[in-house]
Amino acid sequence: MAEAQSDKTPSLAEDYLLEKEKQDVATKPVEVKEVESAVTASSVEGATDKVEETPAAAAVEESKEDAPAPAPEESTEASSASPEDSTSDTAPAAAEESSETTEEENSGDQEASEETPDIKLETAPADFRFPTTNQTRHCFTRYIEYHRCVAAKGEGAPECDKFAKYYRALCPSDWIEKWNEQRENGTFPGPL
Amino acid sequence: MIVLEWLFLTIAACDAAEPWQLGFQDAATPMMQGIIDLHHDIFFFLILILVFVLRILVRALWHFHYQKNPIPQRIVHGTTIEILRTIFPSIIPMFIAIPSFALLYSMDEVVVDPAITIKAIGHQWYRTYEYSDYNSSDEQSLTFDSYTIPEDDLELGQSRLLEVDNRVVVPAKTHLRIIVTSADVPHSWAVPSSGVKCDAVPGRLNQISISVQREGVYYGQCSEICGTNHAFTSIVVEAVPRKDYGSRVSNQLIPQTGEA
Ligand SMILES: [Cu+2]
Repeated sequence: MAEAQSDKTPSLAEDYLLEKEKQDVATKPVEVKEVESAVTASSVEGATDKVEETPAAAAVEESKEDAPAPAPEESTEASSASPEDSTSDTAPAAAEESSETTEEENSGDQEASEETPDIKLETAPADFRFPTTNQTRHCFTRYIEYHRCVAAKGEGAPECDKFAKYYRALCPSDWIEKWNEQRENGTFPGPL
Repeated sequence: MIVLEWLFLTIAACDAAEPWQLGFQDAATPMMQGIIDLHHDIFFFLILILVFVLRILVRALWHFHYQKNPIPQRIVHGTTIEILRTIFPSIIPMFIAIPSFALLYSMDEVVVDPAITIKAIGHQWYRTYEYSDYNSSDEQSLTFDSYTIPEDDLELGQSRLLEVDNRVVVPAKTHLRIIVTSADVPHSWAVPSSGVKCDAVPGRLNQISISVQREGVYYGQCSEICGTNHAFTSIVVEAVPRKDYGSRVSNQLIPQTGEA
């Protein structure tokens, strides 16, 4: 009886996937998720990201009107997301169904974003180079990647920011402190 | 009520150890649910085997009692029975191993990208938690120490040797990455309800990925002998709704950024 249905019933992992992620998994191509791919993942994600970036937006409608004006920090995201927005503007009836679900999520995000403009639940993604429990090298590699990036692109290059975010998320602050000291003294053991 | 408790039929969710507890604490993550299910599945067959073996043992003791049967039968060989009793006991562990390994590897696997990273750093004898996803510099970070509340300071209703002064606040129904490490000697970060027991080894970062399915307060204790106050190194995880988590974190973050 149970075996007959087994192909329909979701696996444990699928069963416990969150609603938003189910959509992501359905739309997202199977590849390692870098930040760039996250930006172009789906229209739903693009819309939610936009709302999060414009904390002053009071409603989804308003944020859509605001959409042509590019967000100051991530112009690439605005350009990639704008065609989707334009289609949803021309065909509002068709977008109605999908926007219902996003509106629920957005309202939750907005409530949070009104009080907390900073907090965005986002962290270093799972990295296929480090699939095991031991993440020591993951942290170290991200630290090196950041400093190589800074060395190549110059201090304060915006494309290095994500590596800084990653290593800060992964490494204990004691380690970062120690490594920063070692870099100043020229005794850092890694390949910089 | 007591009978119900004996039968493990408590109504309220059990997220901390209770006196004379024999069963598991209630599952808060899919991982723990898998562990409990595996345990129950295996135990069913384990008890069947136990009954079968006991039956053979008792029968042998009964029928070959020295008074009743002073000269036992002189059969010392039986090829068929020997093959059977070798093959079957070696097959059974294999059948136990299949679901066991499947669960083990699925627990290791990181299925989706985590939404937040929390670092749990063991110290002698307290824990430091770092929330560094929201940092914009190396110095600034949301860090706090979590000490067990001493017995004398306990308030009514608090659990002895379990309650801490600063709980780890995590969002519920969110994929979490917890990086476990230690600053001095090996510790272990263990929360039974979430199915986590992860060694905290100095110089090494161990990752566990969990997703707490319901809001609640989950208790755990250090699980690696780490010195005199090993018993006073507890863990309390508080799972709150997602939007509450945002305000909790920003409330703690904003005063810090003001200082920095
Ligand atoms: Cu300990």
